[in-house]
Amino acid sequence: MTKYAMVVDLDRCQGCRACMEACKIENNTVESVFWMYVFRFEQGEFPDTEISFLPRPCQHCDNAPCVKVCPVGARFKRDDGLVLTDFDRCIGCRYCELACPYGVNYFNWSKPAKSYYSDAIDWKDPVLTGVTGGAVPAYKNPDLEGKYGEEQRHTAGGGHAKGVMEKCTFCVHRVEKGLLPACVETCPVQALRFGDVEDPESPISAFIREKSPWRLLEEAGTEPSVMYVGGKPPSSEVREIERPKARV
Amino acid sequence: MATKTLTERPVPRGEPSLPQGIGRFNSGWKVFFAVGILIAGFGGYAYFREYTEGMGATGMRDVGTMGGATWGLYITMVVYLIGVSFAGITLAALIRLFRLEKLAPVARMAEVLTVVSLILGGLAIIVDLGQPIRGIINLFRYARPQSPFFGTFTLVIAGYLFASLVYTYLGGRRDAAVLSKVPSRLQGFHRRWAAGYQDTERERRRHWTASFWLALAIIPLLIIAHSTLGFVFGLQVGRPGWYGTLQAPAFVALAGVSGIGHLLILAAIARRTLGVRDRLRIEIFAWLGRFLLVTLLVYLYFMMVELLTLLYNTPEAEKALSDALLTGEYAWIYWGSVAALVMPVAILAYQALNSRWNIGWLVASGVLVNLAAVGKRYLIVVPSQTHGTLLPYDVGSYTPSWIEWAVVAGILALGALLIGLFMKSFPLLPLDESEREVMADA
Repeated sequence: MTKYAMVVDLDRCQGCRACMEACKIENNTVESVFWMYVFRFEQGEFPDTEISFLPRPCQHCDNAPCVKVCPVGARFKRDDGLVLTDFDRCIGCRYCELACPYGVNYFNWSKPAKSYYSDAIDWKDPVLTGVTGGAVPAYKNPDLEGKYGEEQRHTAGGGHAKGVMEKCTFCVHRVEKGLLPACVETCPVQALRFGDVEDPESPISAFIREKSPWRLLEEAGTEPSVMYVGGKPPSSEVREIERPKARV
Repeated sequence: MATKTLTERPVPRGEPSLPQGIGRFNSGWKVFFAVGILIAGFGGYAYFREYTEGMGATGMRDVGTMGGATWGLYITMVVYLIGVSFAGITLAALIRLFRLEKLAPVARMAEVLTVVSLILGGLAIIVDLGQPIRGIINLFRYARPQSPFFGTFTLVIAGYLFASLVYTYLGGRRDAAVLSKVPSRLQGFHRRWAAGYQDTERERRRHWTASFWLALAIIPLLIIAHSTLGFVFGLQVGRPGWYGTLQAPAFVALAGVSGIGHLLILAAIARRTLGVRDRLRIEIFAWLGRFLLVTLLVYLYFMMVELLTLLYNTPEAEKALSDALLTGEYAWIYWGSVAALVMPVAILAYQALNSRWNIGWLVASGVLVNLAAVGKRYLIVVPSQTHGTLLPYDVGSYTPSWIEWAVVAGILALGALLIGLFMKSFPLLPLDESEREVMADA
């Protein structure tokens, strides 16, 4: 059996947010939505301040509260540990979003654009046509439309339909091809690790044995598949430096 | 007496008169229906906008990085309206089980209140769904009993609404049979309702038995159904302010408060408009007033327990939430609701101790407790999202958009229209013997 998990090395994370950007481009997520989000925290009073970072993808919990409350089984847990949303079945009641203590769910409040990275740009702008010669790079990852897993359900990527819930998929469309999730692939300092924790020989298993990681909000009993090493859980002492209060 | 009130009103010549103003619209009623249709129509337009533009037209947004509330006014109204449905059928069942004959005149309006508020509660769920059509199909097709929502849909909307409809139908057959013999525009409707009922001794006994067992079954069903709605919130560990064993019973208690408050208002309206002053006697209002006082005290007790538990040793996660509720952004709603619950206690206790009941004050109490109920429901739903994140997200905010206000107003107007329509097509008070005789003569 395979069981995927992610380990975030907070001793390495420098808060560059490249993972957030990679995720958005890979998954075509809607404006102001961050499936992968990196908190930038500050603690203490000037001049004795301390900066820390906390990447927050979906925790892909083993005891996922969002899966429990979904009235139609659109949110489900796969045998390999991935918690996914079937956007063909989701009715948009948003109960999963409230059950989740990590705030990783994002609802499509309006009709999503087809591709956020070509639709958002005015390609007819004379400045651009001078460079592109009028060609429009209509790029959107075709893998996002595919069906995945034993269940063969539509689960990959974002920006599919209005009125449904979407969230981090651990890049199911990449993982099934044997690739790493986009955030892990992109991280310039290898602060994110991803792999099969059921396999004792895998690098991630060895890393976990060595570092004894902790997990976010363990008291909520959600048993997350995302683990953290180094740093410490966020306390009430920390405050966010930047608040991307982007609203659609 | 009843004969007198019937003959008092001007009856158009040549048309036999149905009791309690059925089928006759004076100018007041016409204005009522016109205004109701206007508001409901505007609500429909607002919902059309929301449906076509997406729920971005509402004030709701994602919790967490987007700093919003993902459930807002709609879910507040779902919880409130399903709460209102509580009193109607409970009272109707209690009247039958404990043979509270003196309360019989309000039994049917209580049932109608239940049915209408359940329909409105269902509508409020539909307008809150991002994919409403898919919702109606998938909620049945892929139903999962593990979700607390399952109880809301199956028990409340399906089971409980269906049981209430059957109960109301059975209870009305005898009157329908009487009215179906009177020629009028509504005769066909009354004949269908009566469905061949002849009012023989055997039929009457069979109806009584069926209704009795149905009433007996409805009571546990409704306690469970209303508890499941409390569970929608009470089972969630991840949201400060929600997780708790008190949610379900407190929900049932506040449901009783708002429902009886509504019934008092409806009974007072019926007394004024239907010319049944002699049948809706002050004793009935006194009984409802005492019942309201008791449920109100039970709810206040729950509230005090909750407040003391929270204040004695506030867990860190609950701190931001309790500050927002008691002294912060939501304090005006919180303390306003508390005032709107305590004032009726004073009003009702004063009247109960003096055994002197005033319908105006009772209606005022009914209005106050319902305002408080909406406020308290809002405070359960919204602050736990804007101020109740366990990770250190920034505090969120939520203001309903005009679309949400219009849709909610439309839903409430639709409810008023449905009740009004019922009042104009069927006797809201079960016919008494004298009315029956008059009808038989006609």
